[in-house]
Amino acid sequence: MEPILRIDDVVKKFGEVVALDHCSFAIESGSMTGLIGPNGAGKTTLFNLITGVLQPDSGHIYLKGEEITGKKPFEIARRGVGRTYQIIRIFPKMTLLENLIVVGKGKERKMVERAMDFLRFVKLEEKKDDYASDLSFGQQKLLSLAQVLMIDPQLILLDEPAAGINPTLQNELMASIHRLNEEGKTFIIVEHDMNVIMNHCQNAIALNYGQKIAEGSCSIIQKDERLLEHYFGR
Amino acid sequence: MVNFIEILIRGVMLGSVYALVGMGLTLVWGVVGIVNIAHGEFVMLGAYFTFWAFTLLHLNPLLSAAFSIPLFFFAGMVIHKRITERLVREQELSALILTFGMSILIWNLAQFFWTNTYRSVSYLTGNFPFMGLVLAKSKTVSFGLAVGITAALFLFLKYSKWGKAIRATSQNSEVALVCGINTVKTRALTFGMGIALAGAAGAIISLQWVIFPQMGGSYISKTFAIVVLGGLGNIHGALVGGFIIGILEAMVTQYLSAKMAQIIPSMTILIILLLRPTGLFKK
Amino acid sequence: MKTRFGLGIILVMAFLISVPFFATDYWITLLTLILIFAVYASGWNLFSGLTGYTNFGLAWFIGVSGYVSSLLIADYKWLWLFAWPAGALFTGLVSIGVGYILLRIKGVYFAISMVALAEGTRELFGTEYLTPITHGGKGLPFVAGIRLPTLYWSILLVAFFSMMICYKIFSSKFGLRLIAIREDEQAAETLGIHTTKDKIIAFILSAFLVGLAGSIHFTYQNYIDPTFAFNIHLTLTPIVMTLFGGVGTVFGPVIGATLFTLIHEILWAELTLLYMAIFGGILMTLILFFPQGLLGWMKEKRILPRIRKI
Repeated sequence: MEPILRIDDVVKKFGEVVALDHCSFAIESGSMTGLIGPNGAGKTTLFNLITGVLQPDSGHIYLKGEEITGKKPFEIARRGVGRTYQIIRIFPKMTLLENLIVVGKGKERKMVERAMDFLRFVKLEEKKDDYASDLSFGQQKLLSLAQVLMIDPQLILLDEPAAGINPTLQNELMASIHRLNEEGKTFIIVEHDMNVIMNHCQNAIALNYGQKIAEGSCSIIQKDERLLEHYFGR
Repeated sequence: MVNFIEILIRGVMLGSVYALVGMGLTLVWGVVGIVNIAHGEFVMLGAYFTFWAFTLLHLNPLLSAAFSIPLFFFAGMVIHKRITERLVREQELSALILTFGMSILIWNLAQFFWTNTYRSVSYLTGNFPFMGLVLAKSKTVSFGLAVGITAALFLFLKYSKWGKAIRATSQNSEVALVCGINTVKTRALTFGMGIALAGAAGAIISLQWVIFPQMGGSYISKTFAIVVLGGLGNIHGALVGGFIIGILEAMVTQYLSAKMAQIIPSMTILIILLLRPTGLFKK
Repeated sequence: MKTRFGLGIILVMAFLISVPFFATDYWITLLTLILIFAVYASGWNLFSGLTGYTNFGLAWFIGVSGYVSSLLIADYKWLWLFAWPAGALFTGLVSIGVGYILLRIKGVYFAISMVALAEGTRELFGTEYLTPITHGGKGLPFVAGIRLPTLYWSILLVAFFSMMICYKIFSSKFGLRLIAIREDEQAAETLGIHTTKDKIIAFILSAFLVGLAGSIHFTYQNYIDPTFAFNIHLTLTPIVMTLFGGVGTVFGPVIGATLFTLIHEILWAELTLLYMAIFGGILMTLILFFPQGLLGWMKEKRILPRIRKI
């Protein structure tokens, strides 16, 4: 079956710095893959390339078999790719409800219904008329996820979803993500917390200095020497 | 061909002054993050300072910069602490409107107190011959002063402790903060320097051109063109940009018309922002 | 509350429509100018107030439309009824291109590029090369064959029309998308919002409305020249008016235009010499202490409900 996402020999430079160095891999539909690597390894750059925020210098990106290299961000989003950011980017001076409605397509009434559904999903329905800036950090992360869900994506890229929130909320968040995964959504998750990756993802891809240094199921990665070297200095 | 050299020299001399004004604005813009629309008004105040010092106190205009520069520096720091520091993290419209209001306040007060009568500082009159050309004394000395002040600025930024702090804050204020640099103080200092540079430019301008309350306005569009050309916060860029604008103006005025020369700043801004918004030069 | 609001609007409109029947020319003229600037301010607010792209070149819309309609009336003997929309439509069309090119530029740079556009056009229209068309710097005095009351009713209609458009847009999803652009354009894009299209549509709409008021403005003045038509004051005054009333609110611009004009009239009458200086001071105070304007402040203090419709 065609992988939902295929990265083909992608190169991205910023001046002299090579952020991504001939990177290639494929993501199977319905999977949960962790993207790991030290800071500056190229993980966020990769997300930016997939979502069209940046264009690769060479190489191709395929979504569901179709080439999306060079397409604008809104086009890629409409083709079913959602993405959250490391530093939360919701719309602060809009209410929670507005944050969701603005993203949706179609008739107002249906939009409001869908938005309320997603607010209930992240347990924020009571704050629907509050300004997003009034939410706590963790709540903003949940709102961000709800926002992404509004565009009905098949592929969701999460940039450090567990960072900075307490373990209980973390578990709730990951539980929600698993539920969505069971419904068929594919996830790529960037995380520094190895436990999160190991406990929740089936596969992982490791990057370092823009190169893919490992790829495979989590149990295999865990035992890979080179990686352990990088992460634990062994 | 002699004509051409003369035009070129004229442009260079013009440019030296423009560059001084531009560097002041871009310094403030890059470090403090504020576009000071009232920058031209401080140039005007600098010119008036020299005029009044010369007229009332008979102070040698060449020396008055020694007084006006520190005065403007402190005034700038005070203005920053009381007024502009508050806007550092606000959206750009606020700073634009605030400094615009400040500009209106200043030139109208100047007009109220000093009237619209054209003033001038007739200190250096006459020309002198130089390699077959005739150069105005006032313009030549102005050029020398401008170069001197520019050199002092660059030395300060490169070697002094505060100069390094300014450069660091300009590049990345968050990192600078983490490195222990007092960004609040650095910003105040920079704003003061910007105002001081404007005042110095005004002093130099007073030697060559007429002084009137609304003169700031005639500088502001050229100054923006210079800042855009050189790149936001890029002082070296503003220096080169100043000369480019000065030379262009001299050339177009001579070979086309003065009216056409007026369009240069606007056209420059549009072209640069469309093609190379970060300015012509790498930081 | 909705019906009270609607009733209020009807009363105000009825009053305004009847003004030419009982007021002196001075008052009709004053109201005409308030209405013209109210449309300028609303038009500016529609684009800049929502998207956050500060348009410092509003005078460009005004001047272009003003010139097209004035030239049509003066040189081609068009009737004002057709010349005005023609000017506005032309401006709207040209702004598609301008918007497409300039809206790629972000932040303060966009503001500067718009000023450059307005200033550059002002200089250009004054040069020898364009004088055959524009009558150059000596200006174009002309008469449009319209009486003051008719002109007043025309701008009143345009103002009403503008307010309706603003009201509809501010409370629509399109309006929300524009606000999203202001809040975080890149995030909006990655959430599937076609920001370029939305920006340009708002830009064109703003250009059309402002242009229409501009055409009327110059017909009212019976005169146009480059300095007058592309004057930076035509950009700044509407912005300041909107600031007075509240940027990003529906009725802020109109209320701001009224407030501003009243303050202007009082200050001018009492303190002519220092008028501008005081005005500059007021501006600074406004930004430092009341950046949200009157309506914004009222919404903050819950005197007014915090809804987008107002």
